[in-house]
Amino acid sequence: MKLKTSYIAAAVIAAVAVASPAFLGAYPLNVARSVMTYMALAISWDMLLRSGQISFGIAGLFGLGSYASALAVLRGGMDPFLSIVFAAAFAGVMAFALGFAILRLRAMYFSITTLALMEIFRIVMHNLDDFSGGPEGVVLPEVIFGGNSSALYWLCLGGLLITIGASWFFEKSKMHLALTAIRNDETSARSSGVDIFKYLLIAFVVTSTMQGMMGAIQVQSYGFTTPETAFDGNFTLLPLAMALLGGVHSTIGPMAGAVLLGIASEWLKLQIPYGHLIVYGVIIILVILFMPQGLVGMARRMIRAGREAGAGK
Amino acid sequence: MSKLTTTGLTKAFSGLVAVNDVSFNMEEGEILGIIGPNGAGKTTFIHLVSGILMPTSGRIEFKGKDITYAPAHERSRLGIARTYQLIHPLENLKVVENVMIGSVFSRGKSLKEARKAAEAICAELELDRLQRDTAQLSILEIKKMEIARALANEPEVLFLDEVMAGLNSDETKQVIATVQRIARERRMAVGVVEHVMGVIRELTQRVIVLEAGELIAEGPYETVSKNPRVIEAYLGGAA
Repeated sequence: MKLKTSYIAAAVIAAVAVASPAFLGAYPLNVARSVMTYMALAISWDMLLRSGQISFGIAGLFGLGSYASALAVLRGGMDPFLSIVFAAAFAGVMAFALGFAILRLRAMYFSITTLALMEIFRIVMHNLDDFSGGPEGVVLPEVIFGGNSSALYWLCLGGLLITIGASWFFEKSKMHLALTAIRNDETSARSSGVDIFKYLLIAFVVTSTMQGMMGAIQVQSYGFTTPETAFDGNFTLLPLAMALLGGVHSTIGPMAGAVLLGIASEWLKLQIPYGHLIVYGVIIILVILFMPQGLVGMARRMIRAGREAGAGK
Repeated sequence: MSKLTTTGLTKAFSGLVAVNDVSFNMEEGEILGIIGPNGAGKTTFIHLVSGILMPTSGRIEFKGKDITYAPAHERSRLGIARTYQLIHPLENLKVVENVMIGSVFSRGKSLKEARKAAEAICAELELDRLQRDTAQLSILEIKKMEIARALANEPEVLFLDEVMAGLNSDETKQVIATVQRIARERRMAVGVVEHVMGVIRELTQRVIVLEAGELIAEGPYETVSKNPRVIEAYLGGAA
């Protein structure tokens, strides 16, 4: 019964999301794309967090995807759509190789290393003048789909849906058991036959692929990028804030957080153009202090409390 | 048939030799007591055979296969399971998921099959309401859950590291009866670390005694408990 209503709700939301270009103008569609990009990044960040590993490298893989896609088109003459697939795979392969080194690290050592990797990617792109365009970045000959705002919207939605699908799979398959066990107690996990490194590597590669894919979609939709836009720290900070606000260790939490903060950010950017990030910082602090389970966690608690009160009557 | 054998097993922590040259074996269907004073190296010994720690030297064989340096998750798949002296519940998983995990990853069962297996094991241990969070469990129930989780690996060799600690005597009897029955039914070799000597006397056919990392005595409890070296180890030189 409860399952059925949630499936119907999901189907209705998906249908509205797909049909949006029919009744939304160019500006709202643009805002929606930004929200969807951050949402996908927030979900992918959370997917790895379920193993207890906190990545600060979202922007690194996002930027890597951006550059891989742009350079494949510019230097390799690849079809723009194909370049998105290529960039996603490239980010995944990079994560696979890097994973052997950094997935032996835990807690803040892992976090700091992922942050450093992002900086390294940015500096490399900054300095590979001949290949990457250096500090000026790259400009593509044309925007994908001729810049049609509906098509760009659907492309971004497609990327988001793939990410949601992957996250849902992580929640419903044995990945859920493996990642939660690793997060709770690695010793117990090992004694129950969980190959910890293998599952961390799967999670890292899958989430990096998603982040690279969203970066590629972004660059193909705008037609240009620079090291400072592709590896913008906001692509790390905002998804993190969204997931924390909505509630971590779930698919629905980061989604809810992305909708709320995404729309709030558009408004805040207009109100305080240079100070809106301060508001994010305050939100993160308040959420950690007063709502460690996030909005979804709080809603769940209230529903449970309501049910128990109802049962007591 | 010999299930688990160690030869000259040694573990040193930069100078401190926690397990020193221990050779022993466990037979199919046998319940073996592992006793010794605090700090004797009992838990370290179990860490070594279950792969949580790697030995400094020596050799471990499981059914004739060298597993000295095999990682813990591989040993779990081969058929070595254990519980922990300090409880290790997976607090973000339901009780049933805590138990299922061994079936899924050690035995490669599907989630559905694993759930069924977990429910059967919990029924055997009289652990119910499996949809609960682990935070809602009593100490007895947590101990049962940890035994159930180890059994879900379908082990051939099982180590119980002080599972009775913190239980009252009725609860202890209940757990002893269950362990005996399951060990008999499955022809499992069970190694029991316990400080309550009544449990050791009742449960085990054979006992090994560790002191300061060394194996100092071996045999049936009745014999070993009269061994002067063992009495000295427990009570000190004055006795």
